[in-house]
Amino acid sequence: MSPSATAGLQAQPASRAGRREQLWSKAVSLILLLLVTAAMLSPLAFMVSTSLKTSKELLIYPPQLLPDAPAWGNYAELFRNGEIKFGQQYMNSLIVAVSAVVGTVLSSALVAFGFARYRTKASGFLFLLVLSTMMLPYPAIMIPQFLLFTKLGLHDSLLPLILPNFFGSAYMIFLLKQFFSTMPSELYEAGRIDGCSEFRLFWNLTLPLAGPAMATVAIFTFIGSWNDLLTPVLYLDSQENFTLPIGLASMMSSKFRLAPWNLLMAASMLTAVPIILLFAVAQRRFVEGIVLTGIK
Amino acid sequence: MNTTEKAGPFANSAAKPAGKLAKSAAAAALLTVVLSGCSGSGNSGGDTVTITHYTIDSPDRTFVEKLIPDFEAKHPGIKIKVTKAPYEQFDSKLQSAIAAKNSPDVTSQWGYGGFMEYYNKGMLMDLSPYLGDFKAADYHIPDNVMKIYEVGGKTYGIPLNSYVSVLLYNKDMFDKAGLSYPPTDYEDKSWTFDKMVEDAKAMTVDSKNLAEAQYGLDFGFGERDQRPQYFGANVYSDDTWTNGGKPSQVNLDKPEVIDAYKKIYGLIWDQHVSPSPAFSKSVAGQFGDPFLSGKIGMSVVGSWSLAASSDFNFKVGVAAVPQGPNPKVRSVLYIDPLFVLKDSKHPKEALEWIKYLVSTEVQKKSIDLSGGNPPVNQEAAEAYYAHFDGIDAAQIKQVYEGAYKYGFESYNHLIDNYSQINELFINELASVENGDKKPEEVLPGLQQKLQKLLGRVNK
Repeated sequence: MSPSATAGLQAQPASRAGRREQLWSKAVSLILLLLVTAAMLSPLAFMVSTSLKTSKELLIYPPQLLPDAPAWGNYAELFRNGEIKFGQQYMNSLIVAVSAVVGTVLSSALVAFGFARYRTKASGFLFLLVLSTMMLPYPAIMIPQFLLFTKLGLHDSLLPLILPNFFGSAYMIFLLKQFFSTMPSELYEAGRIDGCSEFRLFWNLTLPLAGPAMATVAIFTFIGSWNDLLTPVLYLDSQENFTLPIGLASMMSSKFRLAPWNLLMAASMLTAVPIILLFAVAQRRFVEGIVLTGIK
Repeated sequence: MNTTEKAGPFANSAAKPAGKLAKSAAAAALLTVVLSGCSGSGNSGGDTVTITHYTIDSPDRTFVEKLIPDFEAKHPGIKIKVTKAPYEQFDSKLQSAIAAKNSPDVTSQWGYGGFMEYYNKGMLMDLSPYLGDFKAADYHIPDNVMKIYEVGGKTYGIPLNSYVSVLLYNKDMFDKAGLSYPPTDYEDKSWTFDKMVEDAKAMTVDSKNLAEAQYGLDFGFGERDQRPQYFGANVYSDDTWTNGGKPSQVNLDKPEVIDAYKKIYGLIWDQHVSPSPAFSKSVAGQFGDPFLSGKIGMSVVGSWSLAASSDFNFKVGVAAVPQGPNPKVRSVLYIDPLFVLKDSKHPKEALEWIKYLVSTEVQKKSIDLSGGNPPVNQEAAEAYYAHFDGIDAAQIKQVYEGAYKYGFESYNHLIDNYSQINELFINELASVENGDKKPEEVLPGLQQKLQKLLGRVNK
């Protein structure tokens, strides 16, 4: 046997041991990942399980993970029950969240474009001024804004939840400005040579190239608006105008009655659907946006 | 934020789109004005007055909407609008509405704040000038109940619902332990605190195994600061009940108060007949009340728990709170009133709505509509006693009557800034409830902190 063949024979057990080690490490990682995933998904599993229980099953101790017979009727009950008005609340939340996305994306992008592409002596100061509005917590402006909208007669309508979004958001402006600043000036010069107006540079050149950043802004805004409870509570009085967060909070409002946790969990499941869909559709662009704009 | 910068090297070429933008902005402003015109609530309608009734968004409160058509038919000049908020946001919405001069007309202490808090903040209207020929007796409201919402001879609230402390017991656990059911008669001298503890011991299985463990008693008499009252000790000086809910003295360092807390927490850690907070949280699940798990023999609790009794997975009974060391107080009264807020422009009409809600016929109707709210109107109360399946009406009646006789209004209605005080008690006594410290170790510190808090908030 040649020396090289001997070395090959010796190497074989060594590489087999290495492969075994690799397999072990992969198996351990996989088990760990599965455990963490199970832990992360357990609240979701409990939510699904509770949403399919009857009122009596909610009170059973120890709690059952699987109900005897899934009560799918809980989901239908949300839409059938005239007192809950879930369908109306869903529609209101969609109107508010979609309008908020349109308003925030358009207004913030426009302002961010200005800060990114135009330079004056006051640019820095103005940008700081914009950023400083992030320091003001919502409760600080809550009452003055409430007074303003009440004076405008917009109380108990969806407009106070929608209109402020059309005046930009400091955080989103900052985020988009960071992205717009990375775009090469040659691109704009080429656009200008081709006869683009400044607005077309923004609309036809900047926005299409800013997909990931825009997706990030859209998702953040949608989630923020979809989950917002305090603002709708302040402005909305009539149940016809309520949004989903008020509806969900109201289901456990009574100090004196058992909360319908099965309906609440069914409602929570349906409430999570748009967020999950949005994230599934825009996931790639969203992750790109986070990478490109340096958000953590 | 509105930023319309247009300057720099491209300023001229940007002028055109900016012009378009200005037009768009003007259009948006116009739209806003138009929309605002469309969405104005418009309270005016000739001589018709609109009264806003602000409540929690839960079926046991919002049922009043179903009464509106009948009220409006009987009172052609008055319209009722119900506005609502979830429980947690009830106070913040109310405060914002008052700050914005958009105050509702009628509401109650349905959030964290209580009567004295509202009163001391100047939120309530003195109803005395508008009461006219209103007599509590005409509405079958007991005089002592009516007086709860009077300060200095002025009436600030009309009682609407009356909850009391009751002792609920799990009949299945009593049967299994071979015990006789506790009595409903407050005058039954054999039913004492010691007897209750004795029965509790017979039902208790104090085990670390959750499946086996069960406890005889959950003693939830009022909030933590009111609990010593059952044992004849008072945490606050007597002037608290006459000076607008501002205690001049705190008695947490007095031996009788320390002894009372020793007895209360001794039920968990010395006698082992009551569940620890950890056990309660484990078995209570989403509902927060361990009694519902069927692992608690007796529970001293507010009578609102009766409303859910048909949902329990075991047979339930109601009994008197046993005679304790304090011969005068054995029950906490939770009388919910209706207030007219100070900024109301139509107090007379608001009072008409309140009078309608406390009338015998409407109070009776409200029991079913609300799913079991106890009426303050004693003539309607008979219908309430008969409302609960599986529990004898006569027994509920006897328990209620005894509770009224030996009742004291809940501290949270009578003490100013109660939510802060209650928070302090919850935080400071947590270590005692968890068995980490003894009451005598914690109470001196709580005394100091409470005095400091009261000194600050009652300045």
